[in-house]
Amino acid sequence: MKARFVLTLVLYFTAVPAFADIGRQVGLDWPQIIAFATHKTNYSGTFVYQYNGHMESARITHISDQSGEHEKLESMDGPRRAFIRNNDKVWWYSGDRKAVQVERRYNSKRFPALQPELLSALNENYLIYTAEQARISGFDTQAIVFQPKDTLRYTHKMWAHMDSGLLLKAAVLNERKEIVEQYTFIQLNIGGEIERTHMMPGQSTTSSEQQSNFDLPAEISEQAATSEWKVAAVPTGFKKIMEKRRSLHGKNRDVIHFVYSDGLAGISVFIETSGTNFEKRLGLSSRGAIHVYSKIKDDYLVTVVGEIPPLSVIQIADSVRHNGQ
Amino acid sequence: MKQKISALMDGELFDDDAETILDKLKQNPDMQEEWRSYHLIGDVLRQSDNVHANISIAIHKRLQAEPTVLSPHQRDSHNARWLALSAAASVMALTLVAWLSVQVGSETVPQLAMRQSQNAQPANLPARGLDDYLMAHQEFSPGLDVHGMTAYVHTVASQQEDK
Repeated sequence: MKARFVLTLVLYFTAVPAFADIGRQVGLDWPQIIAFATHKTNYSGTFVYQYNGHMESARITHISDQSGEHEKLESMDGPRRAFIRNNDKVWWYSGDRKAVQVERRYNSKRFPALQPELLSALNENYLIYTAEQARISGFDTQAIVFQPKDTLRYTHKMWAHMDSGLLLKAAVLNERKEIVEQYTFIQLNIGGEIERTHMMPGQSTTSSEQQSNFDLPAEISEQAATSEWKVAAVPTGFKKIMEKRRSLHGKNRDVIHFVYSDGLAGISVFIETSGTNFEKRLGLSSRGAIHVYSKIKDDYLVTVVGEIPPLSVIQIADSVRHNGQ
Repeated sequence: MKQKISALMDGELFDDDAETILDKLKQNPDMQEEWRSYHLIGDVLRQSDNVHANISIAIHKRLQAEPTVLSPHQRDSHNARWLALSAAASVMALTLVAWLSVQVGSETVPQLAMRQSQNAQPANLPARGLDDYLMAHQEFSPGLDVHGMTAYVHTVASQQEDK
């Protein structure tokens, strides 16, 4: 009996490290390679996006040249919807609706390298290791797993092209290892001549429609005068990367927007005066790995959006306090 | 702290720990709120029928099924009395908290419960209204650094069903 126990113990200590060794811990090289490839490579392709039991396909075109980054993402199923980015400007087209400029990125000089803060956050919150090598859409890829060190966030698994570092597939998994969402390229051209048509806003639709209808920016006032609000229960490992008052397009009144990041997942907290017609948005909803939870706090509408499990989103929303309370 | 609250809920704490937590709960309104939402979340996730009913009843039932709180060391009668007293006080405090939260939290409780019961599967986002938030979020989320514009697929996905 005792001998068996000892044997088990010995086996445990010899076998477990051997298994664990399948995934060699890789540190921060892969994330940097992937981010660099995503933003500095020319590519175009079609991918399938699966979430909540749905499946949809979309096409992406990305060009990086002397004038910067230009990209377009458009739906292939259902009504036409597309994003077009020209460096730090993003336009959103939805069906017959007019083009809307949705966002002006606060810092377009983030690339090609990931910020050191982001890398150190990644390192603190995730165990990064390599998994299997797989062939996806005709390309040889290396799988990399970002395993969280707690249950406050999801596991991310990414399959990066061995040569270019581009992501061919990415999945988000919950703590039971079930797939929350994933996308997979089914066709991809890397480098070479990329079709440039329809890449610039103004070329894809008639210019009259274009010009008259930009909802002018989302001009973001960088004033950080939001100290009156406090988000008390931000999950460990998430650091605030932004805090500002802004207008959410289409609305005149100000919205306070906090953004937190753990290196891989983001959380946005929006606080605004609760106008009319907010009831239908209250509660929890989700799209793949993104969960949204809205609640009324006094006379304000609090909305939390994040690529984190639903419980975390609810807890964050519940922890929003007016200072002095 | 949160882990402790949740351990307490699950009856995984030792008596001493449980008592400390209960004391803290009594003193700290934030924690009481957390305690309330943990229960609400738990109920909603289990899809139990009585979520929208009186929550204090649910908490009461759970507390009665909570051996760590209600059955202290039998051997030491002096100690046991103390524990029983403090446990009773805790139960009263919790009932009060639960009752208060039902009063105060009445605007959120039924909605969360309603949402969950309307949709057996996770609710898909309505197309209008929330897209603004999604887009604003995506542009700043670190997902954009890693995935590039593919991260915007959350908004591009069509959601025909919510027309």
